[in-house]
Amino acid sequence: MALQGLEIRRSSASLRGGGTGLRKLPTVAKYIDTSTCIGCKACEVACQEWNDLPNAHTVQTGTYQTLPTMTASFWNLIKFREVETPDHGLQWLMRKDQCMHCDDPGCLDACPAPGAIVQYVNGIVDVDPEKCIGCQLCETGCPFDVPRYAQGTNKMAKCTLCVDRVSVGLEPACIKACPTGCLQFGDKTALLDMARHRVEQLHADGFAQAAVYDPQGVGGTGVITVLKNGDHPEWYGLPRDPKVPTTVSVWKRVLHPIGFVAMAAAVFGAIGHFMAYGPKKPKDTSRESGGEV
Amino acid sequence: MSELRIPGATPARAPTAMQVGRDKEDVLVGDEIVRHRFSSRVIHWTVAVFFITALLTGMPIWSPVFGWMANLFGGLSVCRWLHAWLGIAFVASFLIMFVAWLRDMTFDKSDRRFNVFEYMKFSDKEDPDVGKYNAGQKFFFWAAGVGALALLLSGVVLWWPTYFSQGLRSASILLHDLAFIAFFVAIVGHIYLSTAAEPGTFRSMTRGTVTKSWARLHHPRWYKEVTGGKAR
Repeated sequence: MALQGLEIRRSSASLRGGGTGLRKLPTVAKYIDTSTCIGCKACEVACQEWNDLPNAHTVQTGTYQTLPTMTASFWNLIKFREVETPDHGLQWLMRKDQCMHCDDPGCLDACPAPGAIVQYVNGIVDVDPEKCIGCQLCETGCPFDVPRYAQGTNKMAKCTLCVDRVSVGLEPACIKACPTGCLQFGDKTALLDMARHRVEQLHADGFAQAAVYDPQGVGGTGVITVLKNGDHPEWYGLPRDPKVPTTVSVWKRVLHPIGFVAMAAAVFGAIGHFMAYGPKKPKDTSRESGGEV
Repeated sequence: MSELRIPGATPARAPTAMQVGRDKEDVLVGDEIVRHRFSSRVIHWTVAVFFITALLTGMPIWSPVFGWMANLFGGLSVCRWLHAWLGIAFVASFLIMFVAWLRDMTFDKSDRRFNVFEYMKFSDKEDPDVGKYNAGQKFFFWAAGVGALALLLSGVVLWWPTYFSQGLRSASILLHDLAFIAFFVAIVGHIYLSTAAEPGTFRSMTRGTVTKSWARLHHPRWYKEVTGGKAR
């Protein structure tokens, strides 16, 4: 939902920017400390409630996970993984899966519908269903496999970082519901400090590989994740070095200009050729009844 | 062919080239030669209509510069839906045309001598061995076939991305894009050559006929075959 009053920083398929660039806001972020998440799913329930999403029928797949994957009407899923680690034995790894609100969003890059995906000045990435055409190209652009397609309505849906709450000074519903404090919300720079501090604590506790996950391949994310096993983001289902797919950048930044040049060249080439070589027509038409076109 | 006789009208005459062209082609009728019979023209224009509408619904998705084209069809959401079906219709009708024209479009030995740069100088020294289609036209036919196949395959992936891998989806974006650019350039050339550049050509796809001098200039061997060996 595109919000009036919160200025847009970037807008999909827009030739010129969507905002004045004058109204500045600090970039907001979610802080997720996977080491203190107990997998209670309060954030999942809060997300469904606040966003008016229907109750989902849970699927038992043999793990402590509500659904196998996010859906168009389930935007916040605690992923559960059992991992046998060499240094710390069997670990239960919980990670809150949702839109990462990338600073350089691949979905926005890939989207062909003007204004269907926007990035507000505070860094929140949002889908406007009214402008979405349901082409699913954002799925291909997203390095985190986040956007979900709603079959019935032919629209994409994902976490909005509760932009409606944030824009009026509230924290997102998931943050509000978290009982352990492993979820925090605020100014990204402040949260990064907090994350680094927590990583130091984890180092002291014997988790030497603990790290902050804020991948720079997508310009950093609006979701800062503290990982006990920071050297193995894939154990949590996170890509090691996520990037906007090269094809999406090649498509928009290389093939588009080439395409425009080629199209113009074809048109001007035809006109130029006609002027240089003229029409090729039979010289002697006197034998025929008509020398018509 | 049944003749409609109107009392008092001029007596029945030999059928005109256009009448012959309803079901025959490559025949000389008076001063005209039937180049494309009715069925050939119908399939060509069917392909053309689906191609143009698929192009017009696809271009606004390609770039917002062409966003205005979406208004012709009721908006971008409609285009996204319509484009896929028009694409299927284009490929299906193209396939029929492909099969129907395949025999005439097969390359032969004389095609090796064709030099597109020489040809585009528009000298009237045409190779006397050029048949119904020159090598450039045959190349266009085959290239369009390859392009249509590329559009179909990549289009199917783009239509139902959920069923395909990220790599295949990404590759399809590029392939669909490249094929579109190639087709755009090709169609500009095709329209230019068949109208302004070579007068007397367009009527072969409307009325189906060409003049003898047109055939002699552009397709000398075909002219000989059709007129029964007469060079003039």
